[in-house]
Amino acid sequence: MSAPVHARGGPVTTTRRAVLWVPDWPVAAAMREAGLGADAPAAVLHGRGMVAVSAAARAAGVRRGHGKRQAQRACPEVVILPYDEGRDAREFEAVAAAAEEVVAGVEISRPGLLMIPAEGAARFHGSEEALAEALVTAVAEASGHECSVGAADGLLAAILAARASVLVPTGASAEFLATAPVTVLPLAAMERRQREAVEDLVSVLGRLGIDTLAHFTALPVGDVLARFGPVGRWAHHIGLGHDVRPPVLRRAEDDIEVGYEFEEPAQRIEQLTLVAAESSRLLDEALLAAGVRCARVRITARTERGDVLERVWRTDVGSRAGAFARHMTDRVRWQLEGWLSGTANGPEPAPLTSLSLTAQDVIALGDEQAYLWGGVSGADSRAQRTVERMQSLLGPDAVLAVREQGGRSPRDRVLASPWGQETTPARKVEHPWPGRIPDPAPATVLPLPEPMQVLDAGGSPVVVDRRLALSAPPTWVRLQADPGRARAAAARRHPAAGHVGDEPTWAEVQPIEAWAGPWPIAERWWAADASRRAYLQVILRRTEGGPALLAAFSGGQWWLEALYD
Amino acid sequence: MPLAQVLSPLIPAGLARGSVVSVEGSTSLMVALAARASHEGSWSAIVGMPAVGVVAAARRGLDLSKLVLVPHPGTQVVEVAGACVDGMDVTLLGARLALSDADRRRLMSRARERGSVVIASGPWSGAHLRLVVEHSAWRGLGAGEGRLRERDLTVAVTSRREGATRRVRIVLDADTSGLRHGAARVAEEVA
Repeated sequence: MSAPVHARGGPVTTTRRAVLWVPDWPVAAAMREAGLGADAPAAVLHGRGMVAVSAAARAAGVRRGHGKRQAQRACPEVVILPYDEGRDAREFEAVAAAAEEVVAGVEISRPGLLMIPAEGAARFHGSEEALAEALVTAVAEASGHECSVGAADGLLAAILAARASVLVPTGASAEFLATAPVTVLPLAAMERRQREAVEDLVSVLGRLGIDTLAHFTALPVGDVLARFGPVGRWAHHIGLGHDVRPPVLRRAEDDIEVGYEFEEPAQRIEQLTLVAAESSRLLDEALLAAGVRCARVRITARTERGDVLERVWRTDVGSRAGAFARHMTDRVRWQLEGWLSGTANGPEPAPLTSLSLTAQDVIALGDEQAYLWGGVSGADSRAQRTVERMQSLLGPDAVLAVREQGGRSPRDRVLASPWGQETTPARKVEHPWPGRIPDPAPATVLPLPEPMQVLDAGGSPVVVDRRLALSAPPTWVRLQADPGRARAAAARRHPAAGHVGDEPTWAEVQPIEAWAGPWPIAERWWAADASRRAYLQVILRRTEGGPALLAAFSGGQWWLEALYD
Repeated sequence: MPLAQVLSPLIPAGLARGSVVSVEGSTSLMVALAARASHEGSWSAIVGMPAVGVVAAARRGLDLSKLVLVPHPGTQVVEVAGACVDGMDVTLLGARLALSDADRRRLMSRARERGSVVIASGPWSGAHLRLVVEHSAWRGLGAGEGRLRERDLTVAVTSRREGATRRVRIVLDADTSGLRHGAARVAEEVA
């Protein structure tokens, strides 16, 4: 995993840097993949024009932007290669790896362009000339590509220096840039969209008669911003030889991963407990050896049937320097138990054949970020320990963390997940959710709706018809009998009380004081989990002041959804 | 411990650390008691209340990132409640928990020692404070129109220290956004 290591904070100043540039990278990469020699005429076609042209083809008269016909007319033997951004990036890894043999920490600005902080590396190699020589040699030997290296202060100057293969002395970058034409500005734009914006800017500047960077940067920055917007300001900044941001260095890191293959598929918990402990310990050691900690651990297991089970657990970087292995052991064991017993929702349980733990969100030790207001407080770690204790008592699924998520009914708006497990809400809170049951939200939301009866004045059930109208004003409500009052329930269950079959035991009917609705909600009618409901808010009339209910009509029946108690 | 503004008539002295409050008749009131402290950074746990409305709790100010739910503690309820009292600042206990009187006494002394607050649903003999909702009246609903807006609660407050019972009326879900206020303002402007 290549995780960016955050550069030091503070205001962005100009950094001395070396740039390694491989000319015509897209075509160089494509030729390498197509197995062509470096001297073959070739070009990469994207859309209607050539985006990169090899040196031989350029000598024959093929230019960037030429169409296919035009290129073939200029040089009949030119090989036209397809454009592939993925290939560019993939092939460039070899160049980056070669450069990393010479200097530690390089930034890939874009495929074809490497950024290297020059100061430390030059000191190590003796001089910038020596550094440049070492880089060119290493890249040529290890990856077989020709490259040129330049060094200067600031981003744009360094790129130009690399293209010209010169080392601009410290402090001379401003003069070096001053004579350059404005058309070099797009070179400093690393992203395609940004480059297009800068190219537009450059063409306007050309028409305005502003040819060189010196002319452009002589303009007051306020006027440039007013006329050209943020792009203009960025170009002005870059043109002066400043940096927009400090270099973000790449760290060559392999995935920190611990794997375990079961000799024979494991299906008993006891087999797994030891494996969980052992692999957690190995992962902890591997992390420590690499000098990093991780914020999340991905647990992956493969079953005999070939299913791959995967779950991500959060680990707390701040507080658990020593207890990591033990902490992870529990989580791995819980996860494996869940998969084996099939309690966790997923594919059918099957014996496991392999297990692997992968560290994610890796950060260097000591780079951990504390909370904005102070560190992990004593109360936080105490609460964390409590949660762990409860999880070890009851199992991981019994201790829940809750979050709000989008939805219309009160039950849909809650996302509960085992404490410490990473989940993503299925529905976003920010979306509008028209037809949502209005606030205040009910204080009691039944985990499973209970059947109830809503009756009209004559005692017959109220229904909601297809046009969402109530058959009659609701007057009475009958809830299920409280299971705690067994005797009362038993009396009513007697056939003499009119109880038949599997019907729930009903309590007495209660009069309705006031009601509102029906509020129809038809959700996901296009999917298998479609639901069509109509909601009713009801206040019951009692001497002690009635509680309010939320009832839903669905499938020809009323359900008690929630209580406003 | 801090208490929300609307609840201060109930407990003018505020929620004392190490105390046990029993609440009868309203889940909203239980959550409201815990809300302010949680909003200011306390950890809270809800044990044995599988049906608690999380959205309502969040609207009252409970910090969901510092809330732990144990919906079904089952037979381990004594250990779980004990762990929560030890480690959390506020513990809400549901009504149907298998806690004997001896367990409850032990939890009380643990809470006193740790300085955490237990808010229990249902009667709790020896609780420092007993809040019984005697009357609750919702407003905003008519015959087929409107929606639930505001609620008055009449609460009988019995403090173990004072002995006598006070009756306090509070508005729990004051409607801040609603039409009534807008209409009142318009009426004022017209006048």
